[in-house]
Amino acid sequence: MKNKQKPKIAFFSFTCCEGCQLQVLSCEDELPDVLSLVDIVNFREAIDEKRDDYEIAFIEGSISRTQEIEEIKKIREKAKIVVALGACSATGGLNCLKNRFPMEEAQRVVYGNKAKNSKLIDTIPARPIHTVIPVDYYIHGCPITKSEFLDVLKSLLLGKKPDIPNYPVCVDCKMAGNVCVFEKGMTCAGPITRAGCSAICVTYGCVCWGCRGLVDDPNITAHEDTLKRYGLTVDGVLRGFDLYGGWEKYKEKQ
Amino acid sequence: MNYRFLSKKGVASFVTGLLKEFRVYGPVKKDGFPMYGEITSPDELHLLHTPTHLSPKHYLFPQRETLLRFKNGENHSIEPTVEAHDQALFGVHSCDIHAIRLMDMVFAYGTPDVNYLKRREKTVIIGIDCLPDKHCFCKSVNTMTVDSGFDLFLHDIGSGFVVEIGTRKGNDLLYKHAKTKKATAGERAKMAEFKNKKAELFITKINAEASTLPLLYSGSYFSPVWEKIGKICYGCGSCNNVCPTCYCFDVRDDVTLNLTEGGRYRVWDGCTLEDFAKVAGGHNFRKTRAERLRHRFNRKFQYQVDKFGGLFCVGCGRCIRTCLVNINIAEVTNELIEETNKDRS
Ligand code: SF4
Ligand code: SF4
Repeated sequence: MKNKQKPKIAFFSFTCCEGCQLQVLSCEDELPDVLSLVDIVNFREAIDEKRDDYEIAFIEGSISRTQEIEEIKKIREKAKIVVALGACSATGGLNCLKNRFPMEEAQRVVYGNKAKNSKLIDTIPARPIHTVIPVDYYIHGCPITKSEFLDVLKSLLLGKKPDIPNYPVCVDCKMAGNVCVFEKGMTCAGPITRAGCSAICVTYGCVCWGCRGLVDDPNITAHEDTLKRYGLTVDGVLRGFDLYGGWEKYKEKQ
Repeated sequence: MNYRFLSKKGVASFVTGLLKEFRVYGPVKKDGFPMYGEITSPDELHLLHTPTHLSPKHYLFPQRETLLRFKNGENHSIEPTVEAHDQALFGVHSCDIHAIRLMDMVFAYGTPDVNYLKRREKTVIIGIDCLPDKHCFCKSVNTMTVDSGFDLFLHDIGSGFVVEIGTRKGNDLLYKHAKTKKATAGERAKMAEFKNKKAELFITKINAEASTLPLLYSGSYFSPVWEKIGKICYGCGSCNNVCPTCYCFDVRDDVTLNLTEGGRYRVWDGCTLEDFAKVAGGHNFRKTRAERLRHRFNRKFQYQVDKFGGLFCVGCGRCIRTCLVNINIAEVTNELIEETNKDRS
């Protein structure tokens, strides 16, 4: 690595809370090492510098305004590799809850009655970034985990395909030695949700809400049947998928 | 075989003694359910229990373990690592002891797996009698009792335990940490009583002799059953992960941030997971859930039997309990039996 120029990376945010970038920043112990491997040339949350000569772009947030479509396309043109950073970007995330309402209503509720006449406040159904530009890799989670970010970065620097799990949270749960939440009389999105989180929510007494999105080939029908068997109504079953599954559902309806 | 009598109170002081020498793992309650866990005092043990949700296999074959550490570049080096400590598995049921015996064979086969074998060498196994829950079917696969593979085995006879001594090591530990006396003929007779009572309690059963199952499975490759259960299966791997005889793993490398040194580790894998049989280039040898389940079941009742001479399902029932869509390995086997009988008649 010594003689070579360091790869340049950049971070961008669209519609999101920037919590995933905060996770990156919280890699305090590792940041000096990271900076010895790469140059960060654009990272609004951390530095003033804004350069466009990046090779790898980490993009947080979903796309929910027309203007964002243009902006993200420009990033794609410049970057060799685009990595979706976090749930909003990778699956549409929580923002897709908006898609259940007419856009005018969402606009009015959030920005008030005058908003509909303002060009500045346009709003379109929230969507994951891969619906707008090609995405090379995904870092899932709401928020992402530091270790997964670092693993993906290391893989990219080594020219290796990052290891993104394609198995459900049940695997992580069993590895963590958890009692299945269904045994405890609760229900969970774990059986169809992509793992990689070490089942942290279940380990700490919660259930999985599916923030990492679906595995590649989820058995949705089986999961609907399971939820019904565990006492949920059709409405309850549908709501079980709502929090993070908004985009998938919206897409189906179109 | 040497049998000693140990009072109920004596068990506690025996465990206290063991804790001085070993890390002790045994059945405890987690969120109200039986699970294995590390204990620091005998009070934490819940000894008369139905099966734990997860098997104790991770004490011998951890979910993730480092196999070697490496350095690239000028000072290139590779150093194998073995993580093992003295440990006692306390209160292991006969099905799990059978399972450990199978794992011992697997990991000694071909190039011996040093990591497993070293850990195994440092492990003391103390078995205990148990009663079946509604999913257990050890009786159907001849693992309801066990006569080797343990250092000590505790038989509950109400007034205390008859301790069966399996190895020299077990014998020495018992003498060192417990006050026992020779078990009387009457006390030993009670062991048989317990066994007879237990034999009556099974709800889940396989309706054929265990020895006929390999042939049954070899004739059932094209059965419609696989499609049927494949349709409802999640491909979630829970059945693999809870199974005491599923031992497949993946090997991966992890580098530190200087990108020149790191470790190679292995991590549990499962044949019901979508990517298990995916190879370079993206081809998947067992693309459908039906194919993957057929493979798993055949590994228990046919393929491994051909290689190692015994069934690889020990009837612990854990995969039945864990399966959210109620795929039941005993019932599926019974369906195959029925199909085969129909075809014959
Ligand atoms: S536990 Fe059940 S649903 Fe999950 S992979 Fe095994 S058989 Fe399929
Ligand atoms: S296949 Fe199921 S019943 Fe048989 S040993 Fe494995 S977990 Fe237990």
